[in-house]
Amino acid sequence: MFTTPRLVLIALCAALNVAVGSIVYLLKLPIYLDSIGIILCALLLASDRWAGFVCASIAGTISCVIIFLLVNPFFIWFEMTVLAIALISVLLTARFTGLFQARPLPHGKFVTIVLLCGVVTGVVSAIVSAPVVAYLFGGVTGSGSAFVVAFFLKTGQKLLDAAVLSGLTADPIDKILQVLFAALLYRATPADFIAMLATPPTASAARAA
Amino acid sequence: MTPNGAAIFVAVMLAGALVASEPIGFSLLYAVIAAFALVEVGLRTFAALARSALVVLPLAVFMALVWVGFVGRSPAEIAAGVPGTRVASATYVVVVCLRLFLIVLATQLVTLRFERLTPLQFICALRIPTTAKRLLALTLSLSETLRHAVERARTALIAAGVITRRPSLRNIINGWMLVQTVWLSAITIAVGRMRDKWPIEGTLSRLDDLFQRAQPQSLGSGDAIWLLLGAGAAAFGIGIGIA
Repeated sequence: MFTTPRLVLIALCAALNVAVGSIVYLLKLPIYLDSIGIILCALLLASDRWAGFVCASIAGTISCVIIFLLVNPFFIWFEMTVLAIALISVLLTARFTGLFQARPLPHGKFVTIVLLCGVVTGVVSAIVSAPVVAYLFGGVTGSGSAFVVAFFLKTGQKLLDAAVLSGLTADPIDKILQVLFAALLYRATPADFIAMLATPPTASAARAA
Repeated sequence: MTPNGAAIFVAVMLAGALVASEPIGFSLLYAVIAAFALVEVGLRTFAALARSALVVLPLAVFMALVWVGFVGRSPAEIAAGVPGTRVASATYVVVVCLRLFLIVLATQLVTLRFERLTPLQFICALRIPTTAKRLLALTLSLSETLRHAVERARTALIAAGVITRRPSLRNIINGWMLVQTVWLSAITIAVGRMRDKWPIEGTLSRLDDLFQRAQPQSLGSGDAIWLLLGAGAAAFGIGIGIA
């Protein structure tokens, strides 16, 4: 499963997550953009779903550890969210790789699918993250979404409700952007690199050929 | 202390910081960290303290702004549905910051403890599967490549007038092009290395040889002492929380 091109892909996707996620975190925007690499990894390995899930999860975990060590000490506790995003990306977003690569791009269908995948990923990640945000940090992490949680708390919501509502407000928008960026990067990735990521032929298959 | 012991020690501290919920619950964890700093790191502890403060201080200011300035109640008061006080919310911010500072400090101290080792030597010393070591080595190598790719792409896009050197609206509109250029640049470099450079230089086989020849150290008595102290302090934190 872990061929050299796939190990390189994991490293590149982790680095992409760290680079974009750190900038957005430091700007305190109410979005994250720290999972583009996870979604992109799942898209690039769409031909082998299990490998896609494992590699996307590892890329997410590595970026989680690096962001935790260098920028955001809250980040390590969102590992379950990383796994949830990897799973949804493999099960849903990676089904549409044909559409994302189509030339010319069918704009209407592309927008609809990006919105659908983004909203589903956003809702799932909001639900998975909410207990961590609410019970571990009382609703406020270091990201800009803390302002949204604080707003809901001010309106009289309970802590978990405020964390869930904040997640449901910010996450779908954030994940729509992430799916869009991942789809565009996938579209721009050279075909020979995608071919290198395909499962290597087994010895018996090679002999038969 | 061995690199393996250090990795487990950070994990124990992380778990301890996670379960401790009162300032007194953190006291023993901080005592263990202070002892670790004194014995294992020495004067370089000040560098670790400065780096940790640099990470946690902006967060503390941000959380104080949100909790004390805006919300004005602690999570416990919100959960109980009682009118809150800014003192309680400030105490809550202090607890979260103590937790974060402990984690960051433990990580920084361990990093400084092994600063004489190169990242590759540290990876070799870890008792993990060879594939994981290979992945870590490639990640380190490619993150440096990506850093250079960012510099090159940024310079090229500035020269082309697509983005500007200073913050501007054009950067927000065209920032996406930078991400795309960096990604394509990194992919091109990686493909070139996998196809030509690494096979000719035998990079991966030499890396594997290095990992196979390396003898990861087993946990020693020094590791055991720190791990026991850390686990004990974490248990104290849990006990205080329950009490």
